[in-house]
Parts: sequence; C-alpha cells; structure tokens
Amino acid sequence: MNFHGEDLRKIYRTGETEVHALRGVDLDIEAGEVLVLLGPSGSGKSTLLNILGGLDRPTSGLLTSGELDLTALDDAELTRFRRDRVGFIFQFYNLIPSLTAEENVRLVTDIAESPMDPARALDLVGLAERRDHYPAQLSGGEQQRVAVARAIAKQPGVLLCDEPTGALDSATGVRVLEALEAANRETGATLVIITHNAGIAAMADRVFHFLDGRIARIERNAVRTSPGKMTW
Amino acid sequence: MKALDRKLLRDLWHMRGQVLAIALVLAAATATFVLSMGVHRSLVETRDAYYARNAFAEVFAGLTRAPGSLVERVKAIPGVRKAEGGIIQYATLDFPGRPEPVRALINSVDENGRTELNKLTLRSGRLPQQGAAGEVVADESFVKANGLTLGSRITALIYGKQQVLTIVGTGLAPNYVYALPPGDILPDDRRFGIFWMGQKALEAATDRTEAINSLSLTLERDARVADVIRQLDALLEPYGGTGAYGREDHLSHAFLDNELVQLSAMTRVIPPVFLLVATFLVYIVLGRMIRTERTQIGLIKAFGYTNAEVGWHYLKFALAIAVVATVLGCVSGVWMGRAMTRIYAEYYRFPFLTYLLDPRVFLAAAGLSFGAAALGSLGGMRAALVLTPAVAMTAPPPPVYRRGLVERLGRRAGFSAVGHMIVRHIARWPGRAAITVFGVGLSVGLLFATTQFLDSSRAMLDGFFFRAQKQDLMVSFIEPRSEAALFALAQIPGVLRVEPSRAIAVRLSHGNRVERGAIESAPPDARLSAHIDIDGTEIELPASGLMLSRQLADKLGVRPGDRVWVEELGGRRSRQALPVARVIEEFVGERAYASEATLLAITRDAAPVGSALLRIDPARRDTILIRLKDMPMVLGVSERDTTFARFESMIDENINTMLAFYISFAGAIAVGVVYNSARILFSERAHELATMRVLGYHRREVATVLLGELALLVVMAVPLGCLLGNGLAQVMTAMFSSDLFRLPFAPEPASYGRAVLIVLAATAFTALLVVRRVMNLDMVRVLKGRD
Repeated sequence: MNFHGEDLRKIYRTGETEVHALRGVDLDIEAGEVLVLLGPSGSGKSTLLNILGGLDRPTSGLLTSGELDLTALDDAELTRFRRDRVGFIFQFYNLIPSLTAEENVRLVTDIAESPMDPARALDLVGLAERRDHYPAQLSGGEQQRVAVARAIAKQPGVLLCDEPTGALDSATGVRVLEALEAANRETGATLVIITHNAGIAAMADRVFHFLDGRIARIERNAVRTSPGKMTW
Repeated sequence: MKALDRKLLRDLWHMRGQVLAIALVLAAATATFVLSMGVHRSLVETRDAYYARNAFAEVFAGLTRAPGSLVERVKAIPGVRKAEGGIIQYATLDFPGRPEPVRALINSVDENGRTELNKLTLRSGRLPQQGAAGEVVADESFVKANGLTLGSRITALIYGKQQVLTIVGTGLAPNYVYALPPGDILPDDRRFGIFWMGQKALEAATDRTEAINSLSLTLERDARVADVIRQLDALLEPYGGTGAYGREDHLSHAFLDNELVQLSAMTRVIPPVFLLVATFLVYIVLGRMIRTERTQIGLIKAFGYTNAEVGWHYLKFALAIAVVATVLGCVSGVWMGRAMTRIYAEYYRFPFLTYLLDPRVFLAAAGLSFGAAALGSLGGMRAALVLTPAVAMTAPPPPVYRRGLVERLGRRAGFSAVGHMIVRHIARWPGRAAITVFGVGLSVGLLFATTQFLDSSRAMLDGFFFRAQKQDLMVSFIEPRSEAALFALAQIPGVLRVEPSRAIAVRLSHGNRVERGAIESAPPDARLSAHIDIDGTEIELPASGLMLSRQLADKLGVRPGDRVWVEELGGRRSRQALPVARVIEEFVGERAYASEATLLAITRDAAPVGSALLRIDPARRDTILIRLKDMPMVLGVSERDTTFARFESMIDENINTMLAFYISFAGAIAVGVVYNSARILFSERAHELATMRVLGYHRREVATVLLGELALLVVMAVPLGCLLGNGLAQVMTAMFSSDLFRLPFAPEPASYGRAVLIVLAATAFTALLVVRRVMNLDMVRVLKGRD
C-alpha cells in the first residue's frame, strides 16, 4: 500500500497553547517498502504514524493512499480503513488481558475482510504452541509477537509500528523485528517503524529523520540488513 | 486550603457523575427515612397534642339510659380522675332530592363551653345557645362536602321526631378524628356527619331529661384500665351498659393507630434496603478509586503524610457524598412528607396537621447516611493504609485471567472474542458483578414489593366486597330489632331478598386476657353473606362453638379446641364457656362468629337483628332508599357498590402518590448502581476499548463490550429481583397487617413485569449515558497514557 502526502500539518490545541506537531510534511511511501522513522521525542513521528493509520486527521494538507483521499474520510470510513487495511503495533502491546493469545488475534480476524487463520498468524511469529495463554502468562517479547500476529492476521496493506521494541531487551527485540520483516516479505505489506534506536534503521529501505515536526533528511539504504544481523 | 483538600475537591468534581449516583441512592434512603419517620412523628405529635389539649377520654361506655347523677358514682370508682356523661344519638337528615339517607351522630355539648372531656374545637361560628332549640355545630368535613354554610337549615328525624336544625358553627373533636358511618369501613363526608347540640336541647329532643346514654372517663396515672372497666361495667349493668372499653377499642383511635403501625413498618423496612445498597456502592467506587491512585498514595506517603492523614483524606471523600445525600434526601423527604401529610389530612380530621420539621429526624437521617458512607469507605481506606510507598509507586501487576466457569461448563461455547471479553471480565471480578446484580435486583425487588400492594388491596377488596358480601344494601337499625323488622323491609316493592344479620355484644375472656366484641351470625341458608378467608376460600360457620378471626384468637391466646368465656353484655348477661371451633384468617377486623343455634344458646331467646342484608331490583334503588329513609327504625344504609367505589378511588389516589415515590426510589437505586458499574467498567476498559477502535472496530461494536456486560448482569438481576421482591413483599405484607386489616399476599404476574420494565428502562437510560463516553473515546490519548 502506498501513501502520498503534501504539506501535512497538525496543530494540537490544549487550552490556550498550540502545539505544532507537524509543520508541513511532504512524503511518498511506496507499496511494500520498509520505512524507519527516526527522531527525538516530540518531533512528529507518532503524529504522522497516527495520521497514516487513520487514527487522527491532519489539520491541513493532502494525504492519499491509492485512490483513497484519507483527509476526506468521515469517522466511520476511517474505521473501515483501519479495519481492512491497517495493522498497528504499539510499544506496550495493548493486548486484551481477558483474551488468550489466539483470541486476541481472533479479535481482528472476526471483523477483517480477508483474514488469515489466527493459528497461522501465531505460527508466523513463532507462538503456535502458546496460543492458549493469557497475556499475563506471556513474557514481554511474546506479548509483542502476539501483537504482531494480531496486526498481520488481517493481511493489512500497511503495518504501522510505534516503538515496537521499546520495552524489550535486544535479543527479544530482534525476534519481534524478524517477525515484522517476515510479514513484510510474505504479505507485501508496507512496513513503517518508529524508533529511537538508530540501529534498527539498517533494516529499512529508507529512513526518515524527523526534527521539529518536519522531515529533516531522508536516507536510503543500498541494502537492507536482516534483523538477525543487527546489533544495538 | 491545604493541597490535600484541594485534591479532594477536584477528585469529587472529576468523579461528579459517580458521586452524584451514589448520593442519589443514599438520598433515597434518607428520603424514605425522613418521609416515613417525619410523617409518623407528625401524626403522633399532632395526635398527642390534640388529645391532650382537647382532653380525649381514656375509657368509654355506652348504656341505654341512666340518670345524670350516675356520673358522681362513676367518679367515685378508684382510679377515675374525671368522668362526664352525655347523650349520643343518631339522626336521619333529609336532603331533598337525594334518595340515599344521610345520617348524623349528635353529641351533647355544654352550651357554656364547660365540657371537660372530648372537648369540641370550634372552627367557625359559635356554640349552640342555651334554650335555643335545634342549634348545632357540625363537623367541618360534612359541612364542606354538602355545600352547607353557617345558618344552613336541615330537617332531621331525631328519636322519631322531626326537627329543623340550624348550623351555627363548625368544629372538630378528638373522639372523631376518624369518623365512620354505622356499619361502614370508610368515612363518607357526604352521607355521615358528626353534630354537637346543646345538652338541654338534646335531652329534650331524645326524651332524656336529666339523663345520659354515654360516659367518658380519664384515669389517674397509676390506675389500671381493666380494673376500672370491670367496676364501671358492674355499675352500669342495671342501666343497659353495653360494655366499657379503653382507647384501643375506640374506633377513631384504633384506625389512627393502625395507620401509625403501617408507617413505622415502612420506616423499618425500606430505608435499610437503600442504606445497604449505598454502602456497597461507596465500597466499590472508593476501592476502585484507590486502586487507580496507588501511585499518588505512594507519593503522598513518601512525602511524609501519616497513615491517619491518608485514611482521613479518603474518608472525607465518602463523607462528602453523605453530605450531598443528606441534603438531597432531607429536602425531597420533606417535600414528599408534606404531600403524604396532605393525604392524611383528608382522611383524619385534625384541627391542624402539618408536616413537622423535627431536627431529630434530620439528625438521625444524617447519622444513617454518614454511617453508611463511612462503613462503605472502610475497605478502600484499609487498602490505602496497607500500601507501602515503595510498592504503591510501582505499576500494579496486570490482572490475571482464567477461563471462566461459564466456558469450562460449556467448553467451546462458540463465543466470539468480544463474548469472551464480556464473560471473563465478569468471572474475573465476581464480587463486583454480584453487587451490580444484587443492586439492580434490589431495585426490581423494592419496586415490586411496594407496588404489589395494589394487588393486595384489590384481592382484599374483591374478597371483602364481592365474595363475602352479596347484598346490594345493608340496613342497620337504630336498636336491635325482632324478626318483624325484616318483614317490614321485605314489604318494600323492589326488595328481592332480606336476610338478618344478628349480633350480640359480648366480652370474651381466656385466662387473664379479655376482649370486647360482638358475636355475629347469619342464618343457615344465608345467600347474601359468606365468610371468605384470606386465601379466598369460603368458610362455613361451625354448627357449634365459635369461629374467631386470627387477630382475635391471637389476642385471646386461643387455638381451636380451647374454651373461651363468653359474657353477654346487656340482655341477660349470661356467662358460659364455649369451645373455639375454628380460627379464620380474615381481611378486616377482630371478629367472632357463631351459628344462629349457638347464639340462641347464649341468649336463650331469639338473638336480636342488628342489621339486614337486602338484594334489590336495581331499577328501584331510588324509591327503595327513599322508603328506607322514612323508616324511623333505620339507622343507616350502606350500598355495597358505592362503598366499593369510594374505596377504589381512595386507593387509586393514594397509590398514585405512593407509586410515584417508589418508582423514583427504585429508579434511584437502578440508576446509581448501573451508572457506577458502567463508569467503573468504562474506566477499567478504556484502554481495551481504544485498542479495539484502533483495530478497526466501529464505536457501536465497541459499545457492545460495555453494554453486553451490563446487559448480562441485568439479565441475571431480573430473576433475583423477582425473588427478592417476593420475599420482601411477604415481609412487608405481614408488617403492614394490623388489628384492623390483614392484607393477602396475592401478586399479579403483571406486577413483576411492571417492576422489571421500569428498572430496565432506568438501566437502559443510564447505560446510554455511559455509552456516550465510548462515542467520544480519544484513541490516541488513551493509548499513550498507560495508567
């Protein structure tokens, strides 16, 4: 899934203060691309990710995905867009504690257009044998892999990951990134990863460096490094 | 203001919805308490003040005729403080154009206002003048109901003589707070009035110069009522005494007392139910609040605040709720109390009856609501106190889920993921789910228990008016008559059947228990009357021995097979022991029955006919009533259907007020419980719900997680509520029964339905309030802020 954005701006108003989270971002993301967004806190990465995923709308600017004008969609249409096209992965997993690993995945496959079998999604992230465990019975890495399985099970056009390894040690983090890369490879989903960790940038086709609500620099890797070979 | 207090105020404001919802339940408790306790106190104090001011007598006696000098001998009885004799006489009034007879009970009154007992309070006009014949003071309600004014003239038939009466004043007296027409069970201001006529004038009108037919007494403080009655009866025997009695057998007093018993029953049952629910709610909400504030508590403690200060901080939160509840409850309780007092003032004739603002009632109400809030806060406070700062400042461990019981029972139940979320959440916090179920159940139960009185009353009315009474008219005679009176009635064109109703005044005793009453009887082939017990079964009169109503049997302490001493009052004054053949559960009164043969054995003479039951041709009702009105022997005529209609309209009027109160009370519980449950559910699950939104669930679908859980709990609450209601209704029915009335427990299925529907409506309304929050859920913010 591709994205095309022009002069995207986002202003948050809290009380009397205005926070300019995005100050005019132009971008093109190609289908199947692996993209890493780097930058300090408050530089606008998460805001952009939320807008790409239909969680939020830009204050001004243009954003399309294929034929779809994301800025023109109403709330129900944005929900539809997320439901059918977008997979999210967060730093803190956001699993439902009352559902087992498999049921967490089913939460998505219950409503998606053309989902894969939940068991297969768990298999892809290497958790087939832990499918009946509740989040409280899983380690942090395992929980994040369940979140990955949940995100890929709907066969999304794009996987949006906000600090997916932020709460994990490096070995565990690598396993999660491997799962994400496998999903990108096998389903062709565009993969966008936010991170503070410059080491992860090596797995991307391109790296966007954020500063003060703008893309300060775009870096293209000649070769993608597989997560297993990365260290940080 | 201290920072901690500032935090308290902000917390209260932040949680204002929940605070208000709990306060609502607590306020309902306070309001019912203030309402029933306040009305009870108002009635008691008004009554006591009125009795004292107007010197309501303590012992009463009727007799045929005695010289006025007898009063001095009565005063000589040890223990008697004051005694006063007088004349009480029924009269028939003629209102041209009205076929039904109108009756007055005329009491003698000292023209110079020197009456010592049962003093008349003049409301307008003046007392009758000495020597002026036909001047009367009439009771206010009668004057109003019949559109009379001072100066109105009415033709009356008194003691067989026609006389024109002039109303010169209106008044009230403490012995007629509740005034019943002869043979009736409801006041009827249009057809029955109380009159007061000058002593001399009434003596002349009733041929009783210097004579009396009634006595009223007050006693010394240490006198024993029973002893005085025994001596008084002995003294009155030669004068046709019909048995002296104390206040508890005085009709007006007994009816008032009956009302007070019911009010105090209400005070004891309903407020505790609300208090219980409110306590639980405070417990849950405060517990939840403390869980979410662990970090803050840790921080506050780390700064050096003591456990006592932290505990007091959270206790104040609960007490603040109690303050709101007390104010709300007292204000609405007083408002409802005033409405209820107005209803009482229609049926009970007091010179003044206002809802008393008694500070003690408010203090007690405040005490109850503070107590409930404090009790509810104990659990939360304990949790806050045992937290050590270090532990408190770490994140709480994630909740551990297991497969719920429901799933284990029906493995692979085929639930969707959302279904699992709902069921497991309930199973994870069963205590909290139980309280929601219990709370909603209670509101169904309370609503059912209070509104089913409508069914009780209907069943009682049906039994009392249509199954036990099959006559059209009941004619009571001025004095007991012989069979000849029946023939006279049968002669009236249009009268289809006449049956006698015999009764003799008796004193029944067993051991040292004594009760005054009448033994009633009907002919063996009676078709116009029947004995219906509380379950609706028709009971035959026993061939020999007595049949006693349950209330009377309990008072005498007898069971079937026991023997009771029966002493005839008046007549031959025979005394004999008769067996109790049967005890009957009846709706109304303490009554005794026997077959005509048994009655004959007591009196050794044909027992006199006190009243007659008539079946008539409805087309000739008016002419029959006019004929009856002109018969000097006829004291009163009551029409079954009009009495029933009055009863019905009284019930409808009172029930509507009552229903409005209880629907709002039960609604308060339902709203309070559901709102709090839903809010807690929402705040606990906000994160999950936001996640679902991110995953692409529509708002509507996300709301089903919340609503589904609530709906499931409410569905469980319905049968529980019906069960609770059934139990509560039985307890309340029993508590509301008094000497005068006994209510059957006969709920209609529709009453369950009504209670359930009302609570469901309140629940749905509340749930929608919370669902609005789901609609406004800010996904990004919720996912960022990890509590």
